[in-house]
Amino acid sequence: MDDGLTLGAFFDAWPLFREAALTGLVAGGLLGVLGVYVVLRRLVFLTAAVSQAAGLGVVAAFYAQLHLGLAWLSPTLGAAGATLGAVALVLLGRRGASAQRDDLLGVAWLVGAAGTVAVGTRVVQEVQDVQTLLFGTAVAVVPEDFHRVVAVAAVLLILHGWWWRGFAAVSFDPDGARVRGLPARGLDVLLFATLAVAVSVTTRVIGALPTFAFSVLPAVAALRLAPNVPTALMLAGVVGAGTGFAGYVLAFLWELPVGATQTLLGVAVAAVAAALGAVLRRLTGAG
Amino acid sequence: MHAPPPVLRADALVVGYGRRGILPPLTFTVRPGEFWALIGRNGGGKTTLLRTLLGLLPPIAGAAERGAAGLGYVPQRGDYDLNVPARVIDFVRGGADAGWSFLDPLRPWRRRGAVRAALSATEVESLARRPFARLSEGQKQRVLMARALVGDPRLMVLDEPTSAMDPINEQAVFDRLAALRDARDMAVLVASHQMSFVPRYATHAVFVDCDMGVALAGTAAEVAGHDAVRRHYGDLMRAA
Repeated sequence: MDDGLTLGAFFDAWPLFREAALTGLVAGGLLGVLGVYVVLRRLVFLTAAVSQAAGLGVVAAFYAQLHLGLAWLSPTLGAAGATLGAVALVLLGRRGASAQRDDLLGVAWLVGAAGTVAVGTRVVQEVQDVQTLLFGTAVAVVPEDFHRVVAVAAVLLILHGWWWRGFAAVSFDPDGARVRGLPARGLDVLLFATLAVAVSVTTRVIGALPTFAFSVLPAVAALRLAPNVPTALMLAGVVGAGTGFAGYVLAFLWELPVGATQTLLGVAVAAVAAALGAVLRRLTGAG
Repeated sequence: MHAPPPVLRADALVVGYGRRGILPPLTFTVRPGEFWALIGRNGGGKTTLLRTLLGLLPPIAGAAERGAAGLGYVPQRGDYDLNVPARVIDFVRGGADAGWSFLDPLRPWRRRGAVRAALSATEVESLARRPFARLSEGQKQRVLMARALVGDPRLMVLDEPTSAMDPINEQAVFDRLAALRDARDMAVLVASHQMSFVPRYATHAVFVDCDMGVALAGTAAEVAGHDAVRRHYGDLMRAA
């Protein structure tokens, strides 16, 4: 490690890193909470596909600005449009067999990934942005993006805190929820819409790789330890926030790419949680 | 004396998928205090009929009318994903969300008394902190019943409640259902491919077999005595 890259040095330069480190914390917390639904509903590849589609939306927006003169089409708008399109495609596919849904997820992921790289070659002026978008290599986050992530996270977390029981009912007992008279269709659409908004906004700011990682790994860790869904939601939020922030700090200390470091830290935390969960279950006879 | 208002009514109901009916039209009325058996062999159309009665599938023709009173539904135990972390108390609380709405999402919190009563009625209070996934099949069935009871239903519908159970647990489930029906003055409708419980517990029965093109409803004795049932199932329901 470089002598200059210490924890003290990081906090000495806090004004420089503040937005980026806190964006990791906020995005990790938000996606951690939503990830519980993603993991338990076996929609892991939904976020992978949707985040890749969001990436394609961003480069397509760059392309449209540069070559088609559509200055109004911002990268955030492009990400949101592509994300909603991918989610709508998958929602339609949910009516069919699970194999059909997997097919659609695979197609969405491949179109997103290949399209991002292909269109990215046509926006060479923004090639650094494309790298950032795919792998989350950004060291800095501009204040406007940070504020956007905070605002979106605040709104979505309030909605999920207020309506969690409805979301849980339609996710884990869909027939029972309908028989008990819950607005199942509305809850389902809203849950997917919140996922789409969260993924599109965070992909634009922190990149597809960490967005996917935060949507899966904190939930995997929390579900190994939590006795019930509300505890899992809170624990996943805490793990996601911690992973997002600590991953950024470790990337600074070890001079590693931010997104990759956050992802690998998430994997390590999930592995520790799995081991801890196994020990706890053995000790309590609940394993 | 007036008959109590029905809790479920099938009126020339045809069930199926798409636009194709798989059974002849059925007409019957379920009232509080009755114990209905929905019987027939596997793949005979029981689940399709049950899901239509519950409002999970649209009828092909006719109507299924559920009364204004509550409906408790106990799906098959295998329908629940055991990877979803839940203690018994969490699981039973899930039944309190009947009437949940976007404007009143805290409604379940006001039904804590009903949760305690349901745990007590099914004798699972001592299991409240145990993980649902770690219970025996008989215990799981009691917890599922508790969850359905939280909504104080006038009709409890159970789908194959005794599958994968030994005869002793099987009888315990039906004894408990009969006791709950009496104590709460509710109706019970049990879908099962087993017919041996009909003589002892059922007051009424629906028999369906889509291969034979048969759908019958009436008192248990009427259904057991029908030619189609006697021809294909012999004395399985003889004592009814």
